[in-house]
Amino acid sequence: MGGNLTDRGFFGLAVLVYGLSAIHTIFLWRRGFRRDDHIAYMLLLVAAGFHTIAMLKRGFSLSRCPLNTLYEATLFFEWTIATACLVTGVWSKLRFLGAFASPVLFGIGVFALMPGLDVNGPESPTLTAWSRMHAAMVLLSYGAFGLSGVAAVMFLTQEHDLKHRKSRAVLSWMPSMPRLEGAMKDLLFAGFGLLTAGLVVGSANLYRQDGVYFKWDPKILWSVLVWSVYLGLVISNVRFHERGRRFAWASVGCFVFVLLTFWGVNLLSPIHQ
Amino acid sequence: MPIVVLGLNHRTSQVTLRERFAFAEAQIPEALARLRQGGVVSEAVILSTCNRVEIYGYAERGAMDAHDALKRFICEIKGIDPVDAGQCYQLAEPQSVEHLFKVASGLDSMVLGETEILGQLKKAYDLALQCKHTGGKLNKAFQKAFNVAKHIRTATQIQRGSVSVGSVAVELAEKIFDSLAERTVMVIGAGDTSEKTARSLLSRGAKSVIVSNRSHDKAVALAADLGGRAVRFDDWSSEFGGIDIIISSTSAPHYVIDNEKLRPWMKLRQGRPLLLIDIAVPRDIDPAVAGLDRVYLYNIDDLQAIADDSLRQRREEVDRCEGIIRDRAGELLASGRGLGLANQTSPVLA
Repeated sequence: MGGNLTDRGFFGLAVLVYGLSAIHTIFLWRRGFRRDDHIAYMLLLVAAGFHTIAMLKRGFSLSRCPLNTLYEATLFFEWTIATACLVTGVWSKLRFLGAFASPVLFGIGVFALMPGLDVNGPESPTLTAWSRMHAAMVLLSYGAFGLSGVAAVMFLTQEHDLKHRKSRAVLSWMPSMPRLEGAMKDLLFAGFGLLTAGLVVGSANLYRQDGVYFKWDPKILWSVLVWSVYLGLVISNVRFHERGRRFAWASVGCFVFVLLTFWGVNLLSPIHQ
Repeated sequence: MPIVVLGLNHRTSQVTLRERFAFAEAQIPEALARLRQGGVVSEAVILSTCNRVEIYGYAERGAMDAHDALKRFICEIKGIDPVDAGQCYQLAEPQSVEHLFKVASGLDSMVLGETEILGQLKKAYDLALQCKHTGGKLNKAFQKAFNVAKHIRTATQIQRGSVSVGSVAVELAEKIFDSLAERTVMVIGAGDTSEKTARSLLSRGAKSVIVSNRSHDKAVALAADLGGRAVRFDDWSSEFGGIDIIISSTSAPHYVIDNEKLRPWMKLRQGRPLLLIDIAVPRDIDPAVAGLDRVYLYNIDDLQAIADDSLRQRREEVDRCEGIIRDRAGELLASGRGLGLANQTSPVLA
């Protein structure tokens, strides 16, 4: 099977298993997240395994890091979320992060498999190691923002259950509120750091190629907007002690904005084709 | 040559009878020595707690002789009428081994799934082991029992959740604060439940407790008992900025805490959460405060409902646990063929 399956085939298998994990999450939710039965983690592990093989196959076939098409960028971005879930899931108290992330991973995966996303443009002379580093760092940052959003959803779920005095708030295996808040904040801060570094590398690359640090390109403008919004969140937390429900909603809202606009703005950007 | 059990527990007898059978820890080594000198059992462990007195033995002669001899032994050593000893249950294999596993796992306890009994069983076994009253058979059975208890704890939900109001309050606080290490508890008013709840929180590491009561003397006495400090009832609100958990059980006919009082106080907390536990009837805390950000309000019914839900969840696990116990007991007995499955002569009582 492994020999005949293409990289898209392996990714298709990964999306299938993300889907199974998402279905399993529904069962966990209906049981009030009371049982840590490891199935959710194992499903995510299997899916991430197929996902990793897909990326490796694509990378080896192209002899480079696969970050050229929207499909490849989406795979990379999704892979960072899945891997981060697996790493945090080593600690049993954060294992349900993966369960909450699996519907998001399934949705992104289905979207990524759309044929129109996997179209190579002409090989660009501007595509250098600097470009790829910029792309990788920015996509990693979106992965971190995504996981922060997932932690925020868990926080809001737990907070809702505690506020409404539901038994599952106490009896479930969900982490405590401070742990979720900490995960949400740390992932957001890490994402902001990566995004900042990625944009600096991108700007430096632009200067190397075109002699300017900035261009009025839709994707660049969009990236600055996203960076500014997350800067606002960082400042609100550090300077004004903004936390809890409002911060969680902001984290979710910002990531939903990124998710809904990332692909469209990419298509509008000549220098990101 | 089976493993046999003779005993009483909270299900089969009243405490007035159990206390007559009970052994103090200091008495057990001598009792075990006398028991083995009688030649009825070659190995023995005595478990004596507030809810059960049991003798586990490895019988040379067979189960029926062993049970009769154990009854005679306990009547002699405790000065008990043989009629009373008739209330003891007597078990032989495989029920004796299954019973041991159930006791270790908390399935036979007054509070289903409680974990204290495992420590008590280990202590009883260690005492017998140190005094050389156990041998290969009971060593294997008890080690297996401890492993089964550990497996059941990790593989099932039988020990998950809390079944008392106090321990539910602790779990709730840990969900909200993660650790109780730097948390301060305030008890407003007096009452058995609020005192127990405060003790539970302190036992789990809460930093300090402040007590306030209309009767300042009562507040001082309770604070001393809990290792905290007392404040006058009219001044308790001045402590608000440093408190994380409030347990309220006054006899006030009106709300002691409402939105109007709480809103400005919450600004002092800089976003730190506040847990309010209202034990009083009529309630001390206006239910509307639950709508404030970072405020979590629970009354006695809420805590009891969670405790009941937890107990229901444990009961759902009993069949699964019993299945595991049957399988593991079967493995033990099969691995030690010659432990006398054929000698099941004593019926199970109780």
